[in-house]
Amino acid sequence: MDVSLEKIDDCRWLIPQTGVMRVPGMVFANDELMRSIRQDQSLQQVANVATLPGIVGYSLAMPDIHWGYGFPIGGVAAFELDEGIVSPGGVGYDINCGCRLMTTRLRADEIQPQMKELVAALFRRIPTGVGSRGPLRLSRSDQDRVAVMGAEWAVKRGFGTPRDLERTEDHGAMEGADPSVLSERAIQRGRDQLGTLGSGNHFIEIQAVDAVYDPEKARQFHLFEGQATFFIHTGSRGFGHQICDDFLKEMGRRAFKGEIPFELPDRQLACALLSSDLARRYLAAMACAANYAWANRQILMHWTMETFLKTLSIRPEELGMNLLYDVCHNIAKKEMHQVSGEGTMVCVHRKGATRALPPGHPLLPEIYRATGQPVLIPGDMGTHSYVLAGAAGSMERSFGSSCHGAGRILSRTQAVKQAKGRAINRELEDKGIIVHSRGKHTLKEEMPEAYKDVSLVVDVVEAAKLAVKVARLRPLGVIKG
Amino acid sequence: MPGKQTCFTFLDHTADLGIRLTGPTLEDLFRNAGLSLMEIMLDKRPAAKTSPHHLSVSGDDLPDLMVRWLGEILYLLEGENKVAMDIEINAISETQLDATLHTVPFDPRIHQMVTEIKAATYHQIEVAPTGNGWQATVIFDL
Repeated sequence: MDVSLEKIDDCRWLIPQTGVMRVPGMVFANDELMRSIRQDQSLQQVANVATLPGIVGYSLAMPDIHWGYGFPIGGVAAFELDEGIVSPGGVGYDINCGCRLMTTRLRADEIQPQMKELVAALFRRIPTGVGSRGPLRLSRSDQDRVAVMGAEWAVKRGFGTPRDLERTEDHGAMEGADPSVLSERAIQRGRDQLGTLGSGNHFIEIQAVDAVYDPEKARQFHLFEGQATFFIHTGSRGFGHQICDDFLKEMGRRAFKGEIPFELPDRQLACALLSSDLARRYLAAMACAANYAWANRQILMHWTMETFLKTLSIRPEELGMNLLYDVCHNIAKKEMHQVSGEGTMVCVHRKGATRALPPGHPLLPEIYRATGQPVLIPGDMGTHSYVLAGAAGSMERSFGSSCHGAGRILSRTQAVKQAKGRAINRELEDKGIIVHSRGKHTLKEEMPEAYKDVSLVVDVVEAAKLAVKVARLRPLGVIKG
Repeated sequence: MPGKQTCFTFLDHTADLGIRLTGPTLEDLFRNAGLSLMEIMLDKRPAAKTSPHHLSVSGDDLPDLMVRWLGEILYLLEGENKVAMDIEINAISETQLDATLHTVPFDPRIHQMVTEIKAATYHQIEVAPTGNGWQATVIFDL
């Protein structure tokens, strides 16, 4: 099926409702981004999501949309609680994959002479790479506590301070987590992966603030030009992957047996009615993985801070580390939104999309009530990352959502092919970026040319009034799996 | 040496990793799929003394059986630290598979994991007969 597109304005495209679609699709993109979006099958996936029961408004796609499995990466969709569904594929395998940004009192040029040492020390300290295991071994009861308490569990164990929780989406613990619904396999895979970074596009990056777009919001976010910051991108590791896999299989089996009253355009879109016990169990398990991911990033932040202190031989008050915010980009959440002019609770799926609450939203902590929620957008390892703040348009247009990153344009195999014979780490070093990575192909797979230009993505987000740019961060040192 | 007999090609998929597999028989196709998964994830699997591990998998149809089969082998590595060096398919139907996997304990210093696969997905999954055997398409989430 060919997906037709109608351009609405410079940053929005409509996919008209046709066939079995229950709502139209809406893609946020400019002409340049749309040219690359049309190259893969992601627009078809936006249309497929629009066929799912109970979907309201539009099947949405952010400007970093690319071809996923089932849902597109960069997809946002909201479903009525009575008639609608929840889909594990609409959250993704890496439940609560997300970002966390820390500011410091240091200037980037002060630490630049020790950048090689810092990156090497981080690489030694943080368990990275495929199937990495951490030094923490969780007992079953501790694993249950992590699943319910999330980041607070880590804080109680001495990783960070209670102040961090206010600066974490959902205070680092999603409600409704119930470890009794988890499979033995999920528990087994979660046992030794807390406090690990993983591989692929996950990273820890040391950065410099190199542009400030909104000085007032930047001040309230404790950001200043020339400042050293660090950024963490990772998720719930094998624990989340197994939970997604378990429930996709259970939901897929019910669909195959004809036990759900609707057709699926793609088996990966297996889902359950939100009113069912199966959906309740999935959401309870998903919350466990979300909480595990928040604890994971909390622990990694603490170890990163310790590495800074030791390598730079400075005291905590000299470093002045401050968690700016921690936000997830793979999640399903019950939230209040306007549907046909009425406040309605819906289940919003964000698959590679970041929540972006506008100023004044009641879910925001007091510190960010006036600025809007910090939105953290990592670029690829050779280009900038961005700090945005949620804007009013996000509630009107995208169920309070924004983009989550640059979005790939090359497959991993294409990237490795194109990078053949090149020393990506040397190319990056020439640009002033020190990179350490574990995997044999990671740097080639993750090279800058494999991604869209993140600045185009955030410009569309700003033009669509989903979020406003606050500051830009330039990479100085990166560790990857 | 295990791994040498696998036969797959990579498909381009922007987010993830897709492979196309072939085999003269259904048994060969599933064996090939399991060994290809190990080959993609691990850089080296030097010959070593193995222990048998029996697996019994049921699926709703062949594509579901393929996703569940690969999920079992992935879990064996990630959850139980066992690397499948070779695979014998003892019996297979459209909905049931019995296999013996010859495994060694995973050792990161020896096996060097190179690709982290989160799961085999149902997205565009295909298992179908061809003129002279069987073919499958599987997309993995990385």
